Amino acid sequence: MIMQRQPTLLNGCAMAATAAEARFRIDHPEPKARNSRIIALDEHAAAIVRRLGHQQWRGGHFLVFDDAVLAGGGNGLAADATLRASDGSVVLLSDELDGADVVVVIATAQASATAASIIGDACALRRIMSAGLVVTGAAPVDDAVSALRPNAMVLLVLADENDIPPILTALRV
Amino acid sequence: MLQHKINELLTQTGPGTPMGALFRQYWLPALLAEELPENDSSPVRVKLLSERLIAFRDSEGRYGLIDEFCAHRGVSLWFGRNEESGLRCTYHGWKYDVTGQCVEVPSEPDERQSSLCRKIKLKSYPLVKVGDVLWAYLGDPATTPDLPEWEFARVPADQTYTSKRWQECNWLQALEGGIDSSHVSWLHSGGLKSDPLFKGAQGNKYNLADKKPFFEVVEGDGGLFIGARRTAEDGHYYWRITPWVLPNFTMIPPRGDHPIHGHFWVPIDDENCWVFSFDYHAARPLKAEELQAMKDGHGVHNEYVPGTFRPLQNKDNDYLMDREAQRRGDTYSGVKGIAMQDASLQESMGPIVDRTKEKLVSTDSGIIMARQKLLKAVDALRDGGVRPPGVDTEHHKVRSASVVLPADQPFIDSSREALTVRPGMPHASV
Ligand code: FES
Ligand SMILES: [Fe+2]
Repeated sequence: MIMQRQPTLLNGCAMAATAAEARFRIDHPEPKARNSRIIALDEHAAAIVRRLGHQQWRGGHFLVFDDAVLAGGGNGLAADATLRASDGSVVLLSDELDGADVVVVIATAQASATAASIIGDACALRRIMSAGLVVTGAAPVDDAVSALRPNAMVLLVLADENDIPPILTALRV
Repeated sequence: MLQHKINELLTQTGPGTPMGALFRQYWLPALLAEELPENDSSPVRVKLLSERLIAFRDSEGRYGLIDEFCAHRGVSLWFGRNEESGLRCTYHGWKYDVTGQCVEVPSEPDERQSSLCRKIKLKSYPLVKVGDVLWAYLGDPATTPDLPEWEFARVPADQTYTSKRWQECNWLQALEGGIDSSHVSWLHSGGLKSDPLFKGAQGNKYNLADKKPFFEVVEGDGGLFIGARRTAEDGHYYWRITPWVLPNFTMIPPRGDHPIHGHFWVPIDDENCWVFSFDYHAARPLKAEELQAMKDGHGVHNEYVPGTFRPLQNKDNDYLMDREAQRRGDTYSGVKGIAMQDASLQESMGPIVDRTKEKLVSTDSGIIMARQKLLKAVDALRDGGVRPPGVDTEHHKVRSASVVLPADQPFIDSSREALTVRPGMPHASV
């Protein structure tokens, strides 16, 4: 048996990294749409998410954190959370995370640490990639950033709300 | 994922393109100073932002960067004679000074020389030496910015070293590798243990122990700071902070007392770029063995095809792929050296990768933000003539850093000092 040690055809080696050879890259559509959840943590963020919801997306759900759902036993621990969907209905965080591929949390200076950690923990438990976008305004966002830090794989601190749509597009929301 | 037209916009830097206009706002590394080592040394061909130029140093030591081709009949001035304060075309003897001004048309009568020459001027750009690099400005002379203040180019000569290599792909692909901190845990994992310019730092153990860093991206005046954090002892995080300054400067976070490295990713044309790789120590001369390691191609540097700036490991030889080393785990990819580990993969994407097909994930956020900032800078320049970030020399005074911080502290506030140049003071490094 002949063992090929050197490339025989041009496209069998790294020299094939030409524009001409790039034409032969296989072009196939994504098998399944990505399931993204965009969750606003506070009222300012909710306004941003409402505006975003009016744009054209590839199936992402735009949600607003509503309230913690406490676990039984009175220990004060949150078991779940309620979220408001764009049509006004109230849904459970746990239901929304079912089958989600990516969660993007949007927060401003007012964001509560509790909300951040409930969502963060729920994502971590389910091994869902989560990103936090913190929009800076007049008030310092340090607290919001600290609240999100332990829970978001990626945190972006943005001066301009208009940066959010391109980021979500890049993430195929 | 990026729309096709945005991919084109970001990757095309020739004359008349929006991104090309952005690049023409900055002093860019064009050559190593050693390429024009003395007065009247050989002229050097330079292609920059899709413009073919010739660089030379005249009898008085002035640097010139002019159109490569003679105004007479288009001969390359690379064949020219660099003598008596000008570059003379060897075809019919027309001669040009460093500003591209024609100073002699020998075939014409002596008394007509000055009137004829005055009307002949090749396009030229300023070329100046700062540090070990010759910098060119290809933009409007009316808006020539102040000279570069990058720390690596401003420290004493014995504290700094710069090399350059040809990379056979678009500049943005190469730059994005410099911003993409998430590949380091994989592609370069082998080098942390063995490379003389990385090994032995305290921080390396956090790197190797925690392969899934969390990221924080914060905007700075000149671009971005990308923080990658890993778990350290007792409620602390180990942060590695990479600055990116528009459009094409990145710096790698330091390790221990090793010199600090970084890059400029300079478009040659849309399918090729120069990678200028520097190493410097802010507080002490480079040690002889460090300098030797750099020249031998360790760290961010590389070995060359002798007599060229083409890496010895290149696509014609499959980057000297060593499958045994890959299996043993000496290198993660089988390619030796971090520079060529990056270059091999980035070139494999094709000359201009089709970004409509990529599947970005959250850990690509640094790249996503950088593109976004480039686009905004291009728009603001085109629509309102706004001077982009990174032109102001204050934006040059950034540093990378590696620090250990309590878990609740934002890296950007705690490290503001560490991320700013303090002349003569060492980097914040773990
Ligand atoms: S894993 Fe990142 S390009 Fe393949
Ligand atoms: Fe790399």
